[in-house]
Amino acid sequence: MIDEWLLEKDSYIPKGEKNSYIEKSIFSMVKTVSIIRENKIKEGIIYHINPLLKVVISILNLIFIAITRSFIYVGIFDIYLLSALLMMDKRDRIRIIKMSLIFPIITFIALIPAILMGNIYNSLLILQKVLSTIVLMSILSHTTRWSDINKALKLMFIPDIIIWIMDITIKYIVLLAEYSIDLLFALKLRSVGSSKDKNKFISSIVGNVFLKSYKMSEEMSSAMECRGFVGEYSISKNLTFKKYDYIYVIINLGMFLLFAIKFV
Amino acid sequence: MIRLEDVSFKYKNKVALNKIDINIEEGESIAIIGPNGSGKSTLLKLLNGIIFASQGKYFFDETEISEETIKDNKFSKSFHKKIGFVFQNSDTQLFCSTVFEEIAFGPIQMGLSNEDIEKRVSSCLRMLNIEKVKDEHPYNLSGGEKKRVAIASVLALNPEVLVLDEPMNGIDPKGKKFLKELLIMLNKSGKTIICATHDFEYVEGIFKRGIVFSENHNIIRDDRYENIIKDKQFLEEHNII
Repeated sequence: MIDEWLLEKDSYIPKGEKNSYIEKSIFSMVKTVSIIRENKIKEGIIYHINPLLKVVISILNLIFIAITRSFIYVGIFDIYLLSALLMMDKRDRIRIIKMSLIFPIITFIALIPAILMGNIYNSLLILQKVLSTIVLMSILSHTTRWSDINKALKLMFIPDIIIWIMDITIKYIVLLAEYSIDLLFALKLRSVGSSKDKNKFISSIVGNVFLKSYKMSEEMSSAMECRGFVGEYSISKNLTFKKYDYIYVIINLGMFLLFAIKFV
Repeated sequence: MIRLEDVSFKYKNKVALNKIDINIEEGESIAIIGPNGSGKSTLLKLLNGIIFASQGKYFFDETEISEETIKDNKFSKSFHKKIGFVFQNSDTQLFCSTVFEEIAFGPIQMGLSNEDIEKRVSSCLRMLNIEKVKDEHPYNLSGGEKKRVAIASVLALNPEVLVLDEPMNGIDPKGKKFLKELLIMLNKSGKTIICATHDFEYVEGIFKRGIVFSENHNIIRDDRYENIIKDKQFLEEHNII
């Protein structure tokens, strides 16, 4: 039987509230998931360079930037990064530039005392290195799919099982984030009033997501066992190179040579 | 009560709803029918103000529901109070530590007195036959029990419109029969029922009207539910049965 209160319409008028924490959380999660899910290879040569080459060369470049003490080398490297940025999709380019400015600004603020004390050369070098490193890694992550980056790690003798764990982690980040977004929507739809402790339910959602991830990992483990998984995970390496892969290697060999000249 | 005018929705470049026109009066019971990926769930999300039309207009009680109007906190709360949504996956709807808290969440939000909260929660627990599990964590319940808790938590808000996404999914036959009776009872009590469904066996008698979506994401038939269900050739032709 239906109770009387369900038969009558409520004359409920909600109070206004300034707290938009749930909306902001949903928005930021949707944004993050859509970036991770953007798995499509875009138009442009830079997106089609062999991922193995990109990962290996980017790591080498990263090491060289970290150990160099030459302003000229880092300067020329910045020009190289700038030309790479120009070859990218406009949206990616803007996103990378925005991202790359935040940390150098923080670094600059931290280095102000050193600059005032007269250590200008080293401070500016550190600043330039921070900027180059962030742009380099952003270019790699924006032009290469996560799964390809993982596969490229095989060339660096990283055990297959570690690569597999990373692969699964990336897939599950998306699944769990979507699960969290739905929970946040459920919270939003039922948050029809103003309650001071509404935000405490966010921690409850985090707990639920943890339980869900545990359950999903158990289920996947059983499913893999049923499919004959015994701890070995082999992945194929893509070692076919095209014309622009060779051009990419030649340009980077030039950069390595420049580093060697300036370092010695 | 609900009016959609030439509504389209796109996920990035993929069309999910294509020029939809729907008019729903208070007290109707409507089945949203269509093959997988035809836009049923998208429509329900749009009706609940989770997503917004890329083109066209959606009116609820003569007020346009758009990103702008939902940004108004006070209006948004009042709108969500009037329209309750039961998700397809109950796991993603339950976020409290106990079943009791889950059902009491809405009434507490509304600022009801402790006595009224207790009354509503007890009533929902009894109606959905989940009194035994009131102190359990929702996560540990069976699929059918979770669905009942999700429905109870939405009903506790006493919404005027109840929107359900595939409510019969993952429920045993006894649970389906129970849910069917409950929906009939709620509709008789004046609630508007809008429900996306695939399961035609257990929903007999709930719906008076059916809206059929095609694989092209538009409405191909808006008719009496019985007429649609009897038209086997039409249903087969459009990949529904």
